[in-house]
Amino acid sequence: MLKRLTWIAAAAGLALLMTACSVVSQAGSYAPTHPEQLPQGRPTCSDCHGTERVASTGKSYSAFDHTAAFVADHRIPASQDPNTCAVCHSPSFCADCHSGKTPIQPATRLGDRPDRMSPHPANYLVLHKIEGKIDPTGCYECHGRANNQQCSQCHS
Amino acid sequence: MSPRPWRGLALLPLVAALPALGQDISGYSTTFVRDWKDAAPSQNYLPATEFLGIDGNNLGSEKLSMHLYGWGQRDLADQSYLPGKSAGDLSYGYLQYRFGQANAELKAGRFSINQGIGFQSVDGVSGKTDLRGGFTVSAFAGKPVVYKNLSENRQSEASFQQDVIFGGRLGWRAGLLGEVGVSYLQDGSKPAYQYADSGDPQTQDYTRRLLGADIWVAPAAFLDFRGRTVWDVSDRPQPAPGNDPSRLAEHDYRATAKLSDTVSLGGTYVERHFAAYYAGSTLPSNLFNPAQQGSFKATGLLATWQATGIVQLTADVRRTSRENYGDSTRYGADVRCNWSDRNLQAGAGYHKVNAFTVPALDVITPAYSLSHGEWRAWVLGQRGNLSASLDAILLNFTDAAENPFLYGKSSETALVGSVGYQAKADLKVSGDLSLDDSAVVRQTMGLVRVEYRFGLAGKGGK
Repeated sequence: MLKRLTWIAAAAGLALLMTACSVVSQAGSYAPTHPEQLPQGRPTCSDCHGTERVASTGKSYSAFDHTAAFVADHRIPASQDPNTCAVCHSPSFCADCHSGKTPIQPATRLGDRPDRMSPHPANYLVLHKIEGKIDPTGCYECHGRANNQQCSQCHS
Repeated sequence: MSPRPWRGLALLPLVAALPALGQDISGYSTTFVRDWKDAAPSQNYLPATEFLGIDGNNLGSEKLSMHLYGWGQRDLADQSYLPGKSAGDLSYGYLQYRFGQANAELKAGRFSINQGIGFQSVDGVSGKTDLRGGFTVSAFAGKPVVYKNLSENRQSEASFQQDVIFGGRLGWRAGLLGEVGVSYLQDGSKPAYQYADSGDPQTQDYTRRLLGADIWVAPAAFLDFRGRTVWDVSDRPQPAPGNDPSRLAEHDYRATAKLSDTVSLGGTYVERHFAAYYAGSTLPSNLFNPAQQGSFKATGLLATWQATGIVQLTADVRRTSRENYGDSTRYGADVRCNWSDRNLQAGAGYHKVNAFTVPALDVITPAYSLSHGEWRAWVLGQRGNLSASLDAILLNFTDAAENPFLYGKSSETALVGSVGYQAKADLKVSGDLSLDDSAVVRQTMGLVRVEYRFGLAGKGGK
């Protein structure tokens, strides 16, 4: 019985794979890297690309302009189009701030890069008590996951 | 916590030799040595920390790559980091295969997932591909990486949420209009019990199951609308009559209109309901309690004006409302200058927070205001092989007399100065001196940073 079920599962899997292959897009993938060196500072993609659209996303290059609003709220672009980010940013760029566990907070690590606007600059110990009262969900956004025990070091 | 974190550093000689093995290996090493003291209790800290990243491309195939990043630390004086004088962690380490079409890719190892809902580190596999008709699909499964900041005897508190994590996203790109998607995330296979401060489990037994919908509409270059809604779809205990909190965890939306080549205007709306938003949390109940009633809402506006090719001005205001507490408004402006031909950048800003007053708990703990102001100014420049930066922050608190967090101190200052020397194209040495003066710490910290890069590091965003 088990052997029969295994064969049925394998056949179903093969059929699913063949179906899946037939529905995969035939379009080419993103370029892995930006072909030209970018100037320092936050790039404004539309300065060079104008009203062009990013291949296969359908979105305008201006949607990826690194404005103050984009930097403050980059999670939707990062979740929908990570390959677009990866054209210029290596994974370590994200890890500079988003490492779940680090012995040096990002603002200290990047003390020579104030332009990066790292989270929680200066001594955040006092301010976090105030901002946490105003908006506790803001803390939870990054620190609240069940596998992140950082808050529990003091709050327990 | 790895019992032998320095084991990873034994790879350094191998890493240094990697360029000889292939031209598509690149790496970046940053070594820090910090020095600071605490007065009470008297402690002298001198930790040495090494961050090491390696990207290997064209591993037999131009589509196959490897990415590693982690750190190790050793305290050369008193213990600076919980729970030991030696520590280390692998932030990510995965193999990636990128297909030539359909933006398809496979990953295996330790990596971060951010498809639709959540941003979490996972030991597992993931895959994604574009489909015909504008569809795109991604999925992941594995074991959540647990940042074991706590001691071993407390790890069991969340062990039932450390066994499995899986989820995925199905998106649809509507031509040139934009993209919509639905996503699902489940963390743990069994209900999570939140622990009270006493260490006893609470009655909340939510498994973390989230369903999300996201949208990004950019019908024209001048208009952009993006955001997401997340619902808690976990099995909940039977609620008490009249006490069935919302299943809505979060609305988070932002619209941006580019009014001209130099002016853009953005608006935000956020709404979070505590019961659903904190569902599945095992963190302290006095912080993130799913049994907590209420919600948080925020609306904001942000205007950006690129006044010249060098100067950018932004002004923003954000009105927040925490149910059962009160309303707050944060407003201010920033200026940012970039003289790219001179390798010089600078910025300055001020924000004022008019916050609600926390009600008095008793006669010993009177009401106090959370209002404060924030000043910041910074400059960053490079000339030849030398670089330098300065960053200054000043916080002014309105109610230092009554706010118990401030111990009567009405301001907080922080100053970070850095000088660097680019010794070679791939080697930079820099030193920071930071001064912190706050209600809880008065500290001077010295930091030496050695950055070494090798190979074809074609990107990095630095």
